[in-house]
Amino acid sequence: MAFPQRQAAIVGVYTTKQGKLPDRSSFSLQLEAIKGAVDDAGLTLADVDGLLPMSLTDHLAGTPAHQFWAEQLGERPLSLVELGGASGQLAKAAAAIAAGLTEVAVLFYGKAGQLVGPRGTVAPKDKAPRVPEWSFMQHGAYMTTWYALWARRYMHEFGVTSADLAEVAVFTRHHAVLNPDSVMGRKGEITVEDVLSSRYICEPLHLLDCSIDNDGGYAIVIASAEVARNCRHEPIWVLGGAEAYYTDFYGTINDPWFPEGGKSVRKATDRAFGLAGITRDDVDVAGMYDCFTITTIRNLEEMGFCKLGEGADFVREGHCRLGGRMPTNTDGGLLSNSHSGDPSGMHTIEVVRQLRGACGDRQVPDARIGVSLQQGWAVHGMGSVLVMARD
Amino acid sequence: MTYLKPLPDTSELNRPFWEGLRQHEFRVPRCADCGDWNWIPYPACRSCQSEHQVWTAVSGNAVVWSWSVVHRGPGAFNDEVPYTVVLAKLAEEPRSLIVTGNLVGIDPAEVTMGMPLTVVYEEVPEEDITLYRFAPVR
Repeated sequence: MAFPQRQAAIVGVYTTKQGKLPDRSSFSLQLEAIKGAVDDAGLTLADVDGLLPMSLTDHLAGTPAHQFWAEQLGERPLSLVELGGASGQLAKAAAAIAAGLTEVAVLFYGKAGQLVGPRGTVAPKDKAPRVPEWSFMQHGAYMTTWYALWARRYMHEFGVTSADLAEVAVFTRHHAVLNPDSVMGRKGEITVEDVLSSRYICEPLHLLDCSIDNDGGYAIVIASAEVARNCRHEPIWVLGGAEAYYTDFYGTINDPWFPEGGKSVRKATDRAFGLAGITRDDVDVAGMYDCFTITTIRNLEEMGFCKLGEGADFVREGHCRLGGRMPTNTDGGLLSNSHSGDPSGMHTIEVVRQLRGACGDRQVPDARIGVSLQQGWAVHGMGSVLVMARD
Repeated sequence: MTYLKPLPDTSELNRPFWEGLRQHEFRVPRCADCGDWNWIPYPACRSCQSEHQVWTAVSGNAVVWSWSVVHRGPGAFNDEVPYTVVLAKLAEEPRSLIVTGNLVGIDPAEVTMGMPLTVVYEEVPEEDITLYRFAPVR
């Protein structure tokens, strides 16, 4: 049974303003993004009959997100709801579209006013807060700490240095400088020395090894081939995609942490590339989840673009930089473009814009095949991959 | 002084673990059928899916498997920076027993990979709970 290649396409993308948005609500950003992406496709809200929310969190207590949105978007029944991470949701939506379960589905996310980093955790005045039974928070850890523990172990096993990690922040900022919509681009280029001299957040990770923490929303519209051919932009076809889940969820890990055979990201990549019928060498442009510098290095290895332990070499050789073999995170990524709550759809949006040839100063010439990796809930505990192509 | 750092919302299912900490024992569910240790506690053994697990005290001997010195802490932890969070590998094998914890009793700058550790216990004032921490073996 083959994946239905080129039977669904991404036809609309939209990003709200990203940054500090104190006057906006999460709902308002989501609605703006949905309307914006549908308009980008040249469709109307009445065309949407599938929903890809990034979580089941709703805006009406006690009501599932899909029913809330079915009512909010015009009191019409919606035919499909898919959860997971952005790339995987879109892959499943493409398969569902080919099977006739839906024709036009929209993936969306928006978050305002709630920081995900330590600034978002207020110290209580009178009583200790309760956290889940095995939560790392009782030990003083949080997301950055966990990735720092991961980075330390990785650096120990493979002889990788802080300067190697810093190279990721440097090339990603370079891309952000070329992206007029990025949050950090206006701050200009950075050097390895800048990263190493920025303050430690959780050793060995410095401030500039970490993604930013801002507000923003985005949406993506995926549609059947028939609908796609009549949309405003050329279709960006889905060639394949897959998702995988593994044990790492900030509570349980096994030794080795970096097995030769990889974890969920490897499994999702192998399956997605197999279904799409492409090899690693076919990828012209990539977007991959980059919550910390270490994450990009590990993703390059897990996705099989280089061998285990060689991710830092791959970056140092310039392959991820614009002009390199496989320009990666050309919008500036989560490190320097935007990191708003669950930003895992942002990488797909940038790849779509690259395949459309709409990226201006940061355009990858003749980009035909692109890949987006969503990865989350832990260090490779969950991963999903989407392979896209223009005609 | 009131303890304001996060505390676990403990469950009836895992009561033997928290009771163990009160008695200064670190108890891990061990499979009665295949002998494997399961951390964090799950309702059945991950190796053979047996539900017959027995809370078994481990030696408390461990080594540093990874660590991070935290310079920006969340909530009340930020009053204690810099402090060290450790991934400690417990001595009991064959299943890897890597436990996240707070490392106390050492200057963060002196932590090294593989350093021998032991589990220590911290009674939380005004709360009916004992927490585990790790400390270097002196």
